[in-house]
Amino acid sequence: MTRSKTSAGVLTWGTIPKRVPSILQDLPIIFAGFALFYALLSMTHYWLAPANAETAIQLRVSALPKYAMFSVLRIAIAYLFSLAFTLVYGYIAAYNARAEKFMIPLLDTLQSIPVLSFLPGVMLSMVALFPTRQLGVELGSILLIFTGQVWNMTFSFYSSLKNIPREMREVAQVYRWSWWQRFTQMELPYAAIGLVWNSMMSVAGGWFFLMACEMFILGNRDLRLPGLGSYLQTAANAGDTRAIVWGLSVMIGIIVLIDQLIWRPVIAWSEKFKFEQVESVESPHSFVLDFLQRSKILPFLARVAVRPVRECLSLYFANRQAAASQNRKPGAIGKWISRALLGAMLAGVAYAFVKMIILLVGLTRAELHGIFVGAGATLLRVAFTLVLAGLWTIPAGVIVGLRPKLSAIAQPLAQIAASVPATALFPIILLVLIRAGGGLGIGSIVLLLLGTQWYILFNVIAGAMAIPTDLKEVCNVFRFNKLERWRELYLPGIFPYLVTGFVTASGGAWNASIIAEYFRFKGHTYTVTGLGSVISDATDTGNYRVLIGATILMAMMVVTINRLLWRRLYALAATRFKLEG
Amino acid sequence: MTPPMAERLQELISQGKWEPAFELLRELKPAAAADLIMTMRFEEQQLLFRQLPIPLAASIINHLPYFHAYVLLHSRPVQEMAAIVEAMKQAERDHFLDALPEEAWTSLMDELAEAGSATEPPAVQTPETGREKEVAARPAADEKPIIEARGIEKSFTQKDGSEIQVIAPVDLSLESGTIIALLGPSGSGKSTLLRILSGLAAPTAGKVLWHGEPVGECSPNVAIVFQSFALFPWLTVLENVESPLLARGMEHEERHRRALKALDSVGLKNFETAYPKELSGGMKQRVGFARALAVEPEVLFMDEPFSALDVLTAENLRGDLMELWLAKKIPTRSIFIVTHNIEEAVLLADRVIVLGRNPARIRADFRIALPQPRDRKSAAFFPYVDYIYKVMTKPELTLAPPSATAKQPTPMLPHARPGGVAGLLELLMDRGGEEDLYHVAETLLLEVDDLLPILDAATMLGFATAHEGDVKITPPGRTFAEADIPTRKRLFREALTHVPLMQQIVTALENKSDHTMPVEFFRDLLDERLPAHDVEQQIETVLNWGRYADIFTYDSASDRLRLILAGEAANSQEAAPLH
Ligand SMILES: Nc1ncnc2c1ncn2[C@@H]1O[C@H](COP(=O)(O)OP(=O)(O)OP(=O)(O)O)[C@@H](O)[C@H]1O
Ligand SMILES: [Mg+2]
Repeated sequence: MTRSKTSAGVLTWGTIPKRVPSILQDLPIIFAGFALFYALLSMTHYWLAPANAETAIQLRVSALPKYAMFSVLRIAIAYLFSLAFTLVYGYIAAYNARAEKFMIPLLDTLQSIPVLSFLPGVMLSMVALFPTRQLGVELGSILLIFTGQVWNMTFSFYSSLKNIPREMREVAQVYRWSWWQRFTQMELPYAAIGLVWNSMMSVAGGWFFLMACEMFILGNRDLRLPGLGSYLQTAANAGDTRAIVWGLSVMIGIIVLIDQLIWRPVIAWSEKFKFEQVESVESPHSFVLDFLQRSKILPFLARVAVRPVRECLSLYFANRQAAASQNRKPGAIGKWISRALLGAMLAGVAYAFVKMIILLVGLTRAELHGIFVGAGATLLRVAFTLVLAGLWTIPAGVIVGLRPKLSAIAQPLAQIAASVPATALFPIILLVLIRAGGGLGIGSIVLLLLGTQWYILFNVIAGAMAIPTDLKEVCNVFRFNKLERWRELYLPGIFPYLVTGFVTASGGAWNASIIAEYFRFKGHTYTVTGLGSVISDATDTGNYRVLIGATILMAMMVVTINRLLWRRLYALAATRFKLEG
Repeated sequence: MTPPMAERLQELISQGKWEPAFELLRELKPAAAADLIMTMRFEEQQLLFRQLPIPLAASIINHLPYFHAYVLLHSRPVQEMAAIVEAMKQAERDHFLDALPEEAWTSLMDELAEAGSATEPPAVQTPETGREKEVAARPAADEKPIIEARGIEKSFTQKDGSEIQVIAPVDLSLESGTIIALLGPSGSGKSTLLRILSGLAAPTAGKVLWHGEPVGECSPNVAIVFQSFALFPWLTVLENVESPLLARGMEHEERHRRALKALDSVGLKNFETAYPKELSGGMKQRVGFARALAVEPEVLFMDEPFSALDVLTAENLRGDLMELWLAKKIPTRSIFIVTHNIEEAVLLADRVIVLGRNPARIRADFRIALPQPRDRKSAAFFPYVDYIYKVMTKPELTLAPPSATAKQPTPMLPHARPGGVAGLLELLMDRGGEEDLYHVAETLLLEVDDLLPILDAATMLGFATAHEGDVKITPPGRTFAEADIPTRKRLFREALTHVPLMQQIVTALENKSDHTMPVEFFRDLLDERLPAHDVEQQIETVLNWGRYADIFTYDSASDRLRLILAGEAANSQEAAPLH
């Protein structure tokens, strides 16, 4: 290096020390890659092992890491299935007007069916599919988790597609974007934020139902899969408090970790898909995302692998589109295939329907009585829970939402509290309640409350935060007293948000009732009267007549309540109580 | 004027039988012929006038209202225009020129002088070249249009299944080398027409031809610039501009190069990596332009491209666009721009089309023969602006005899507040009871679109009259403007007895024993006749008016109206409208 190039030399030297830690920086990413690889390997190994009906769940603490890994992978795979299903189903429903007419009501109904009602069907078919391998039961469990995760994601994606601004669509149309370009540059980005939030909710739901999805009695078979859920359930059965506390801590640890390592970065990253014209002042921040963006390996991979592939695909689809627009002929074969598929589907539905009717006709008077009494009891329980939840969350939410400083502290705390699955806490709560002389009667309501109050709380906080400042000032100008303030401003202001919160909470409460009303604890099965316990009991005893009857009744009640109550309140919220800021 | 004669004339014109039509006009006194012409729709007037032999045109022209005369004259080539003025009788010509406003007069004089000098060279050559010269002045007329719309109509299906026609059969063609501005009141179907012409939406009937081929079967090379920019917030500026090129399967390098060139041409170099939300409104629209220009469209469509920008930014961007266009830096052969702004139309366009509403049909279609670049302070500019005002403000006056309005089941209530009407009347009083609409709008800093409903309301209530673009206060209007608030309310109430919708409501309320009705009832009533959006406006207006006039009270909690009975009127102060 010559003297004349000193400045350049300084620059070069300046970059060298940085290079060393940048390799160090990439180490965690490399390790994460290896860990994932190992996890998948051992999972496959276990899956392909011969079917083993009665896995003994060990309550040793040292078994926990393996169990935790299995559970996380199960939820992850179920989530990937959900995502794939969401994209396909949402896409078809949004673009095929004829399919939309039955796909959306169907989704509505499926959403209102509790997870456990899917259990026998899913399990038996999966076990029949892979009779000799663990894979059958395992896939069954994954599909169960899937049924608990998928519907809200699909709804979110569908409604995002439906809401893409007209002019954006027109840009894509007038410049003749290919299918692929529309999907990657318009539809997916537009739906991204909704998908991310719903993914978080879905995965939280996965944790909530994990215990039910990993260990269950199916007729005369007692199936249990190695995992955190079954560990907790076994510990509860055995009344092993130490194991319960350990399992719970690991679960909460994992949830917090996933939140920090996955959701925070994803949320911060998805900011760029926000559909806004001006940059918002403060946006979510994630140190993990910063870290990943600073690393060398990921941008390198993106440059070497992702970008060329993306370019290739874009050009391929663009050229295909151009070719297709030149000879525009409706594909006769495609039409016939889709017709045949539709026919087969209709036939399948009709067959299932007839089978179901035959089953239902066999319901005895006593069984019917049980179902209807249970429905009434659960309805009251859910209503009571919602009222109780509303009573504390509305004032608390408004108080927090109106004070920016307070909400900056309270919101993250509440989010952590909400992320702990209530089912995992349940054994401890029940233990306390039983000691205090209460039982599942109170316990079930506590569980429902724990599982659903957060939806209302978060929505109320958001609503209160959205009340325009000038309206608050008007209240001061008119010297409104407390009561007037609530009546004239706060309640109308949060109303639309409150409705959203209650809708979600109500759906969640119905679904959770199957766990809340029927619980095995210390070798004893605690039950209270309710539709949820009817369903759980029918699953356990293999009484499919009752299972189907009760499920249909529950789905019908949920859908009816949605139509008659919530949808009207929504309409009311959209017209009367819309605060324009 | 005898109607049979008007019908006969129209028939002849529609069949293209010009000679008999001229004969018919020649048989009449010039004044009567002018009246006859005035019974026709403006576009028919233009059609006819373009064909009129020069002596006939010269005899009639003085008897037409001066603005019609002015614009009709301009629908002919400059030489012919000069010839017509030349052929007028001395006294008539003086009278005609006297009647013109100062600015129009100067600009006409300029043009005539120019035409005089322009005719010199051909006169030196052969006599026939005069004809050729005329053709050369309007090359577009002979060339095949790029887009041709034949009898296109558009209807939308309402929620309740009924059809509502937004666009009446329209014929239109876009020629090469022109900028066409489309004006019309809000909601008249401008955007819809633009969508149909650009191939984005299919017409319900009729067809759109692109170089003679139906648009469905070819892929027209067009681009659209939207009022809302329609940029993708998750793509960088460069990716936004590249996106249409990617759709064409263009390779990375070429794409990059073309996008950069387009960005450069709109003055956005060095912003490639920015995201749209980091840019100001004007810069965003520049990106919108760059994206449109990147595909080198043959026709550039723009839907109110400058409306979302502040005045200065819009002015800047307009200037830049015109520079690209005039210097032929872009291969675009025609620009079609929808706008609300009359001045903008006169500033940019070679041809202006004005749409009427319910359903949209072409009310006027004329050329603007001013040289570019144009100066809005120039004398020739103003007459065009004023003329467009007049076409837009005169609700079908020349199109149909007054009796025709009675045929409509319920005339729409203009969407205006009583306060606005009072304000207009007070302003008129201030100005001695009469004022030019354009000036009223200017004083109030309003666009026509905003002023029109207020004016319509004032005329509907009998407080003012509009004629030829002038507004005049009526004696009742005068009383109203001078009255105190309670008296105003009473006068307003009396005036409303002539408003059918209000009468319908009052009758319905009177006939109920408890004198209340849900608003929903009237909404349903209107739903059958009007599109949903209009229903809301009508209801809102009628509620505003009725509450102001103390005819009824409105309880928003129950969404019901309650009639104020005669005795109550005095103490119903709380029923005053909330603004
Ligand atoms: N997709 C649609 N479905 C039903 N009605 C429609 C639809 N698009 C437009 N309309 C109606 O057609 C009429 C004309 O709309 P359009 O947007 O073309 O008006 P415009 O002249 O562009 O108005 P503006 O000046 O407000 O932009 C309106 O009454 C509108 O309500
Ligand atoms: Mg428009």
